[in-house]
Amino acid sequence: MKSKMNFLLLEYAINAILRRGKKNIFILLIFSMLVFLLSSVLFISDSIKLELNSVVKSLPEITLQRFVAGKQSDVSLSRAEELLSIEGVKSAIPRIWGYYYFKVAGVNFSVVGIDAFEDQYKESLQKIVDSVDVGVLEKNSGMIVGEGVKKVLEENYYKDFFNFVTAEGKWKKVTIAGVFSSDISLEANDMILLPKNTAYEIFGMDKKMATDIVVKVSNPKEIPMIVSKINLLFPDMRAITKDDIRVSYQNIFDYKSGFFLSLFLICAFTFFIIIYDKTSGLSSQEKKEIGILKAVGWSMDDIIKEKFYESFIISFCAFIMGLCAALFFVYFLQAPLLRDIFMGYSKLKPDFILPFSFNVEMLCLLFLLSVPIYIAATLIPSWKASTLDADEVMR
Amino acid sequence: MIKLSHIHKIFTQGNTEVVALSDISLHVKDGEFTVLKGASGSGKSTVLSLIAGLSRPSSGEVLVEGKAISKLPDNFSALFRRENIGFIFQKYNLIPTLSVRDNIILPLIPQNPSEEVLTHSVNHVMEKFSIAHKADMLVKNLSGGEQQRVAIARALINKPKIILADEPTANLDAKLSNELIAILKQLKEENTTIIVATHDPLFFDLDFVDAQVEMKNGKIV
Repeated sequence: MKSKMNFLLLEYAINAILRRGKKNIFILLIFSMLVFLLSSVLFISDSIKLELNSVVKSLPEITLQRFVAGKQSDVSLSRAEELLSIEGVKSAIPRIWGYYYFKVAGVNFSVVGIDAFEDQYKESLQKIVDSVDVGVLEKNSGMIVGEGVKKVLEENYYKDFFNFVTAEGKWKKVTIAGVFSSDISLEANDMILLPKNTAYEIFGMDKKMATDIVVKVSNPKEIPMIVSKINLLFPDMRAITKDDIRVSYQNIFDYKSGFFLSLFLICAFTFFIIIYDKTSGLSSQEKKEIGILKAVGWSMDDIIKEKFYESFIISFCAFIMGLCAALFFVYFLQAPLLRDIFMGYSKLKPDFILPFSFNVEMLCLLFLLSVPIYIAATLIPSWKASTLDADEVMR
Repeated sequence: MIKLSHIHKIFTQGNTEVVALSDISLHVKDGEFTVLKGASGSGKSTVLSLIAGLSRPSSGEVLVEGKAISKLPDNFSALFRRENIGFIFQKYNLIPTLSVRDNIILPLIPQNPSEEVLTHSVNHVMEKFSIAHKADMLVKNLSGGEQQRVAIARALINKPKIILADEPTANLDAKLSNELIAILKQLKEENTTIIVATHDPLFFDLDFVDAQVEMKNGKIV
């Protein structure tokens, strides 16, 4: 049975690509670069969004901070008891935490105080606390650190311990009792967990106070009402809901997206210069070739088909090359340079692993905005040339 | 049978109109060998181009094998050309960056023949014109005579009923010209219709030429 696919025509198309090698390699590289850059940005932003969504999901419904004269201040532990009297509040957990600036490395660690007899405000933290003996940790003055913290400390001499400088200006030596790799690595990477008493000492806090209070509610739909009741009960406290944090993250990413939108425009501009160059006409050599093909008996359909193969091979290969390069760059190499732009707010953040995320819809859109446009840009001038008399085209 | 009736062909160059052919009528029977002679610019090549359907007349009708080729839609005229006409161009019109073999098989590609048929056809014509040993060489690296033989091989690979040759000996030496004439004689014996446009006197005294038509300033004289 005779095959419908004309492999001779396909072979001719491949040959034609190779014959105009330099020009086609240039187009292939530009095209691949465009796809690579755009899909890399797409993968990174999707990946980070996925990670942040899981972070936001694990956050407490309401976080309460106390403000005195516009400045965040510690909050009395007794307020946690009072909060429980509000209808709909499931639990109120006081937190002892803060950022500790490690000057030598220029990074901030998130220091969190834990207590064996207290519920943690989120599951991931609860799992870590459950897995260690906080009593022993306190007795030995130990701490558990995230992988990022461990790496930074090791790079700066501290292999087994770390000397905190307390609020009183004294050294506080704390040994590294363990390293945890949280599933939610983005938030846990820069985290140090140590007993509450050690945290109080480092931050110089009164032991009757907490940094803030997180509130869990029975019904998330009641959050606005509970927030208004808290505001009435404690006018000096600010309630931050999960949605507020989500919006805050969203704003950061919108800003980053804006940056990449401009990059995208530059790439798109380059791409459309190629497209313009292609549609503005064929070279005299290419025109003559079309004339010769017509003269030896090729129909307009044959010529268009051959040009379609040519342009499809180039654009599809470029698309696949760009896509594979982006997958390798983002998920294997962990997007060096590009990730720093997205994650620039902390030096510790780049150490987390970008979770795999594949946005098929966006990739389809990218495909449709590049490959068919390039094919059309190749076919239109070829079609124009093939409508002319062969004699005229060959002249 | 080839029949041209009251053909006019006018080219437009910018704002100027150039009359290439004026009221040409010509009749060539099947299997005939016709020589179109005349000086450069007399319109010989334009006549061949119209017969092959490479261009269309401004007025008049061109009938080839009973079909008005000048009025056929593009795809049909291409198909007709592919199946019936072999054109040998004065400037060869080969694709310089393709090999000898790839140039010769060009007319076969749209037909999508089997590998066996393709190989047999191309080998046959390459051997016939003594270019088989250069099958993989790029055409741009061949001499003028060799390029002409590639062009002839390409014109004949489809075993056309009609051969149109435009100044086929213009770039050949005496030996190669005589070889070409021998090939054309052989084709004539195989009942192929041949029209040669030339001002080479070699063609004027050939005993197998059936008709000689002289052209001047776009007219038959």
